[in-house]
Amino acid sequence: MTSANTQQDTPLLRVRGLKKDFDENHVLRGIDYDIYKGQKIVLVGPSGCGKSTFLRCLDMLETPTAGEVWLGDTMVNDPKTDINKIRQRMGMVFQHFNLFNNLTIMGNITLAPVKLKIMTKEEAQEKALQLLRRVKLEDKADAYPHQLSGGQQQRIAICRSLEMNPDVMLFDEPTSALDPEMVGEVLDVMTELAEQGMTMVCVTHEMAFAKKVANRVIFIDEGVIKEDAPPDEFFAHPKNARLQDFLSKIL
Amino acid sequence: MADLFYKSFIKANRWQMYLQGLGITMWVTVLAAALGIALGTLACLFNMQRTKDGRRTIGSMIAYVYIDVIRGTPTMIQLLIMWNVIMASSRNKIFVAVMAFGINSGAYVAEILRGGIQSVDPGQMEAGRSLGMTRWETMISVVLPQAFKNCFPSLLNEFITLLKETSIASAVGLRDLTHAADLVSASTYEIFMPLLIAALMYYIVIKVLSILFNKLERRLRESDIR
Repeated sequence: MTSANTQQDTPLLRVRGLKKDFDENHVLRGIDYDIYKGQKIVLVGPSGCGKSTFLRCLDMLETPTAGEVWLGDTMVNDPKTDINKIRQRMGMVFQHFNLFNNLTIMGNITLAPVKLKIMTKEEAQEKALQLLRRVKLEDKADAYPHQLSGGQQQRIAICRSLEMNPDVMLFDEPTSALDPEMVGEVLDVMTELAEQGMTMVCVTHEMAFAKKVANRVIFIDEGVIKEDAPPDEFFAHPKNARLQDFLSKIL
Repeated sequence: MADLFYKSFIKANRWQMYLQGLGITMWVTVLAAALGIALGTLACLFNMQRTKDGRRTIGSMIAYVYIDVIRGTPTMIQLLIMWNVIMASSRNKIFVAVMAFGINSGAYVAEILRGGIQSVDPGQMEAGRSLGMTRWETMISVVLPQAFKNCFPSLLNEFITLLKETSIASAVGLRDLTHAADLVSASTYEIFMPLLIAALMYYIVIKVLSILFNKLERRLRESDIR
């Protein structure tokens, strides 16, 4: 895979000593990790282990209590950094889609790039149509989110993030809120995206997806990384006892 | 009874006085409501503003005091202070009434809107922020439109409350519908029938508005069946 030759580059995302407390609750207790361009990282772990918090710290939806997050040569959690500029380079896909309920699908996808003057309205709409064609929803451009199924909404949410041309896409349990028959259509879009070389960090319970797409699978437990391995090794020969226990329960 | 009605409404074209009064009432209500929406939106946004460590900003404290004091004192007193003290130099009663009722209504609108904003899923703000939009940009384009829609029935209700409340401005001499009843009684020496006529006119206007608002609400609801 690509991970071998990208290892020599400087990492796209660099996490150092990341800690996050919610009052007395120490959710992340010091995480170090490098993510390189083109890598697909899948995070797994029991609920409440901090994997979503880790993901949300990457684009400052949660403010880290300690440690550093770097995107390229910019420190993301430096108060002097313009976080809005950083977030334009990082797409986030949420468990509950969070499409803007007051806007059409086209409005959802084009709002940010037009408001932020990254594209003209025409450019944004043209790109949005291309993206909608990619996820086979071009006929829904004028629909409102509540008129679509969960799977369709999540595919639109992915388009909305991709419209910004992000350097990396973060997925926070993108299929957990979906009916089972809709999981596949969303994973297909994500797989296609991975094949096109997008850098991806995914929190998911879809182990088949992890096996197929991931370069590395990470197991987070008690706020630290307990295992970090390529998927074959991760699933076939887990070293950490907690991970063995976790895998035996879900596989 | 018919004689009384004739004397209080038909004779000497007195019905014109009621209609002119109603015109003033409607003007003051519409202008005060517009001022109230603007002030209320502003006050609401400031009131909800916090620093990074969760404390109120200066603007937030000012907005809080405004909302708290206005809601905690009688409208009549606010009107009298506006008329006799703050705007004592202005003899334009419509203007003074619009200011007094607009400022009054703004405090209530701020609270209604706060409820509306809090009823919008926080995920909407997060999604906007995750795309690189500022809190303010997301507020304007995404959260506020949904908040207004959510609290639309309460805002319409506030409009009707305001319409009725303007009647106290007749006490400072605003020539509104209530004042018209007073004027008529001064020439007929009979107060009950003019008051009854004024009440009926308020009631009809409010009934018509309620029916219109209900239709509007229903149409809004139909547009987002989930």
